[in-house]
Amino acid sequence: MTAPATHHDVPASLRLTWLDKTAIVTLVVALGLAFLTPPEATQGNVARLFYLHLPTILVAYAAFATTLIGVVAYLATKDLKWDQLAGAAAEVGVVFTGFTIIVGMIWAKPTWGVYWTWSARLTLTAVMFFAYLGYLALRRAVDDPVVRAKRSSLLGILLIGLIPIVHFSVIWWRDIHQGGTILRPDEMQIDGILATALLAGFVAWSFTGAALIRRSWKLARLEGELDQRLRAGDGRVAGDAVDTPALDGSKDASS
Amino acid sequence: MGWIVTEPTLSSQALTIAGRDIQRERRRGEVLWVILPFGAIAMLLIPFGIGIDTPMLRRIGPGLFWVVVLLFGVLVTVRRTAADTDTEQALMLRLGVDPVAELLGRSAASVAMLIGFQLVVGAVTIALYDVDIARWPVLIALVPLVAIGLGLLGTIAGGISGSSGGANLVPFLVAPLAIPLLLAATQSMDGSTPTGGILGWLLLIVVVDIVLAVIGVLTARPLQEIR
Repeated sequence: MTAPATHHDVPASLRLTWLDKTAIVTLVVALGLAFLTPPEATQGNVARLFYLHLPTILVAYAAFATTLIGVVAYLATKDLKWDQLAGAAAEVGVVFTGFTIIVGMIWAKPTWGVYWTWSARLTLTAVMFFAYLGYLALRRAVDDPVVRAKRSSLLGILLIGLIPIVHFSVIWWRDIHQGGTILRPDEMQIDGILATALLAGFVAWSFTGAALIRRSWKLARLEGELDQRLRAGDGRVAGDAVDTPALDGSKDASS
Repeated sequence: MGWIVTEPTLSSQALTIAGRDIQRERRRGEVLWVILPFGAIAMLLIPFGIGIDTPMLRRIGPGLFWVVVLLFGVLVTVRRTAADTDTEQALMLRLGVDPVAELLGRSAASVAMLIGFQLVVGAVTIALYDVDIARWPVLIALVPLVAIGLGLLGTIAGGISGSSGGANLVPFLVAPLAIPLLLAATQSMDGSTPTGGILGWLLLIVVVDIVLAVIGVLTARPLQEIR
């Protein structure tokens, strides 16, 4: 018999893993570097937002690529855990894309004079945000996990085409948004301490994205198991910790 | 003497399904009596929100027309008359109806209705906004091309979202992906766009239509399996 949990015990789901700890440490370092670097020559201090803006969109791309990996793995194996990975990664990708847009808008107001302008990059990023939000809405709209996995897999494959269009839009169309800084056909457009701060930001947000995907994936798998047990008619979803309420005065209705 | 039974071709299956969808619409009149008047009312109400200034309305009328076509046109593709009951779906499966023919037939019916929708709402726009349609030859190409793109997009999205409860999702899935159609249509009608530019925008819609048709054909069978 296991000892009853007290309020001092930290539930396993809340314990920090090495990935969580690495994400926190690298984030602190990256944010410190972002503030310690000298101001950018032309934009001044507002350019520090760049150390958030660029890494988060690259991590969002990576999260959406992970969605594609999950989709392909699901279609190849029919194992629902890969579909759950696809959904978890899409959630994190949407959050990071939204964060990128908000940070970009805060940067744009003092730089361009407006929060939003109808440039190809901005508009397409918003389109990508809403398209993946639609992917998440589709997942919520279907109850059956297998049907959900199949339907969302098709959409997940179709949506991945948006990423290269969004990223290379600044090269393909004349745009007020600055061109690529790192992922560009020719050489990088940043060097020195600024590049170090940017690299630290990319590392930190990558760990953060990975940690969030891992947690979201675990949550999705637990939800899947719960759903499976509920469908199988097992009412004791809380294990031994909670008894099923008894309607007839007996101790446990399930016993 | 025995009967000679020939298997219906893909095109004949698609035409039969398109005819059935149009027949259903003729009986129920969902597009004609609900969605079409709704689109026309939208064109009537917008000036009250942004100011009744005829020169300004003349300038923005074409853009508003395409926005209404995009947003209300999606409703044409998700009309109730386009949804099969479970019995009808089972019957189609037993009859061996090709899923590609089903997609093409459904899309063709939606395209026909979308063309009608655009013509009526277009006439309302010209009347209410005093729009000058000096570029009417461009419209002759634009109306069917946009209808094909929107019809295919709506049909594919309808298949992915599923008929039971997922229909509400279709406008949300379609709207962001229909932006190339909206952009190309508005730019083609913009008086400042040079003739060469118009051809470029029309070509973009043709490419989008072809890509959607390929996606539709590739996803038709998997979508039939999960229905």
